[in-house]
Amino acid sequence: MAKKHKILLFGFGRYGEQIAKNLALDGHHVAIAASSKEELKTASKDGFEDLYVVDIQNDTQLTDLVLDKDFSHIFCSFDDEEKNIYLTITFRSLFRHIPIIAICESKETERKLRLAGATRVIDTMVAAANRLYYIVEKPAVAEAIDEILFRDKSIVFEEIEIPKGSFLDGVNIKDIAFSKKYKIIVIGLVDKELGNRFIFVTRGINHKIDAGDVLVVVGKKDDIENFKKLLGVKP
Amino acid sequence: MIFLILTSVAIIIEEVKTPISKWLYYYDVYFVTGVFIIEYLLRLWVYNDVHKIIIAEYEESLFLERPFDTKRVLKEIVKKKLEYILSPLAIIDLLAILPSYRELRILRIFVLFRVFKLLRYSQNISHFFQVLASKKIELLTLLMLVAFTILVSGISIYVFEEQHNPHINTLYDAFYWALVTISTVGYGDIAPVTHEGRTITMIIILVGVGLISFATSIIVSAFSEKLNEIRENRIIHTAKKLDNYYVICGFTHMAQLLAKRFKREGIDFLIIDSDAEVVERALAEGYLAICEDATQADAFRHINFDHVKAVMALTQTDMHNIYICLNIRSFSKECFIISNAVDPNAHKKLKLAGADYIISPYITAGFFAAKIIDEPIAIEAINDILIARKNALCEQVEVIKGSFLEGKKVGEINFDRYKLILLGIVKTEESLPGEKFYHKFIFNPDDDVILEVGDILVVMGYTVSIANFKSLVIESSLKHGKKA
Repeated sequence: MAKKHKILLFGFGRYGEQIAKNLALDGHHVAIAASSKEELKTASKDGFEDLYVVDIQNDTQLTDLVLDKDFSHIFCSFDDEEKNIYLTITFRSLFRHIPIIAICESKETERKLRLAGATRVIDTMVAAANRLYYIVEKPAVAEAIDEILFRDKSIVFEEIEIPKGSFLDGVNIKDIAFSKKYKIIVIGLVDKELGNRFIFVTRGINHKIDAGDVLVVVGKKDDIENFKKLLGVKP
Repeated sequence: MIFLILTSVAIIIEEVKTPISKWLYYYDVYFVTGVFIIEYLLRLWVYNDVHKIIIAEYEESLFLERPFDTKRVLKEIVKKKLEYILSPLAIIDLLAILPSYRELRILRIFVLFRVFKLLRYSQNISHFFQVLASKKIELLTLLMLVAFTILVSGISIYVFEEQHNPHINTLYDAFYWALVTISTVGYGDIAPVTHEGRTITMIIILVGVGLISFATSIIVSAFSEKLNEIRENRIIHTAKKLDNYYVICGFTHMAQLLAKRFKREGIDFLIIDSDAEVVERALAEGYLAICEDATQADAFRHINFDHVKAVMALTQTDMHNIYICLNIRSFSKECFIISNAVDPNAHKKLKLAGADYIISPYITAGFFAAKIIDEPIAIEAINDILIARKNALCEQVEVIKGSFLEGKKVGEINFDRYKLILLGIVKTEESLPGEKFYHKFIFNPDDDVILEVGDILVVMGYTVSIANFKSLVIESSLKHGKKA
C-alpha cells in the first residue's frame, strides 16, 4: 500500500467499528474520537489505542486535536447521520483543505454532506443494496469484485499520475497494450484536457495521455510497482 | 369455456329473428351442452373424496368391531353429493344445461344462465359475493324490512284504490307499484289517484329513500372493510403467476434501493412487510407488496417456493431476520436466502438459521471506507459500475456451447474491438464440493488461457457494447446449433 495516513475517525458505532478495523488492516494509523467513554471502551477492547473523548460542539477542542496530532484525513462515521453532517460542516469551517470522508444512509443526506463540504461520501445503503443485486443476479461479477477489492490482497486498484517526460507522456492510450505488456488493466483515466472527470476507457475514445493525467489501473501489486518504476513515478 | 358460452348466447339472440342453420343448432344442443354436462359431472365427482368416507367408515367399524355398514356409507356419500348439487353454483351449472330441451320455450331464458357460468371462471365476482356474504345479517335485515314495507303499502294501496284506480286490478299490481315507488324508480305507469293513496305514497317514498341509503351504506362499508383483503388477494394472485421472482421481507431503506434497482432491470419481486403504512408506500411506488408478518408461517402460505429465486430478509433487527430465515427454511430447503445482519455476532446465528448469504451495510461500508482513502477515484469508478450510474457496467458473459468463444484462447479475442475490458474469468470447478457459488476467479488471464463451456467472462464496458457482445455470443451459438 502506498502511503500510511493518520486518520481521525469519529464515532465508534456499528459503522465506525467496521471502518476503523478495515482502515487499521490496511496499515493506517487510526485515532478514534467519540462523544462518550462507553464507545471508546469497545474501541479499546478491539485494540485501538489512540482514543479521544470529544464534544463535537466544541470547536477549539477539535482544532487543537487535529493540529496537535497532525491528522491527514477526517472520517465522520457516526451511526447518526445528522451528527455526520454537523461534524462535516464544522471541520470544513475550521480547515479548508483537509479531506473529509463521511458516510450516510440516504440520498438526501448525501446531498447535504456534499453541500457541507465532504470530500467523499459513502452511501452505505446504496452500496449494500447494489451489492445484493449483484450477488443474486450476477454472481460472477460479485465474485470478481470481491476477489479484486477485498479478498486477494495482491490485486490492487491504483491511481497513477503520469509524470512529465515519461514514456506515456503524449502517447495515445490505444497504442499501448497494457494488459499484455505490463499485465495491468487500465479501467479509465482522468484526462486533464477534458476536465476533472473520470472517463472509462471503454468509451472508445483514443485519449492522448499527457503529464498530469491520472490512470486508474488494476493489477497485481508487483506488476503495478514495475509499471510505476518504468514510468518513473516516485514512490 | 368462455367461447362456448358466448356462442351459445349469440345463437339464442340470432334465433329470435331468424331460424338458425341446422349445424349451429346441433353445435348448440349437443356440443355445448355436452361439454357442460361433462363439466358438471366432473365437478360433482371431485367435490369430495368418496374413498375417504369409505375408509373412515371401514376403520371405524374395525375399531368398534361391528360389521361394515354399506348403507351408512352410501348415505354419507349421497349426502355429500347432494350438498354439492344444492350449492348455488351447482344450480347455475345445472340450469345452464337445461335449455337444451328446446321444446319448453320458457327454458330458453335459462340459456342466460350460461352467462352466469362466466362468473364461475372469474376471480373478481367470487370476491364480490364473498364481500356480500360477510354482511349477510345486515342484508337479511334489510330484505325483511323491504318485504315488510312492500307488503303493508301494497295491501293498503290495494284496499284504497282498487275501486278507483283503473291500473290497480290485482294485489300483484299493488306490490309492483309499491316496489317501483319504494326504490325511487317511479315509472308512473301506476299512480295513486285518491288522497289516501297519495298519503301512503308520500310516506313510502320517504321510507324508500331511507332504505336505499341503508342498503348503499351496508355494501359500501362491506367493501371498504374487505378492500385490503381483496387487494392483497389480487397481488398474491399476480405473484402466483410470476416465475423466477424475489421475495423481499421488510421494506427497509436498503430494500427500497434494491427494489428500485430491480424495477429498472425489469426483475420481478414481491415485498412483504408487517407495517401497513410501509406496504402502502411500496404499493404507491408500483411494487407488488403484501402486508404480512414474515416471521409467521402464515405469511408464506400462498407462495410457491419453486418459483422463488431467492428470499431476502432485510429487516432492521437481527432477531426478525433470524425468524424469517427459520420460517422460510420450514417451507423450502433449497430456496436461496440472503439476510441482512446488523450485529456481527448475528452472522453465525443467521447461518444456523439457514441463511445462505449474509449482507451487512456496516461491513460493506467498512470495506469501501478503507479503500476510499487510498484510491478515491478507483472506488468511485467501482461505485459507478456497481450502481450502473454512467452506463458503465460490469457484466458476466457465459461461454455458451457452440459460440465463437468456445475453445478460443483469451489472446485470440480482441476485446478492444468490442470496446470491452476483460477483468477476469470465473472458472467453474466441479471438484470443490460444498461450495455453492462459482469458484476460481482468474484475474487478467494470460493470452493462452483457453475458454471452456461454462466459464464466465467478467467484462466491463458501456451498456451498448455489452449488449452487443452478448447478442453476438448468443447468435454465434445459435448458428452453430443450426449447422449441427
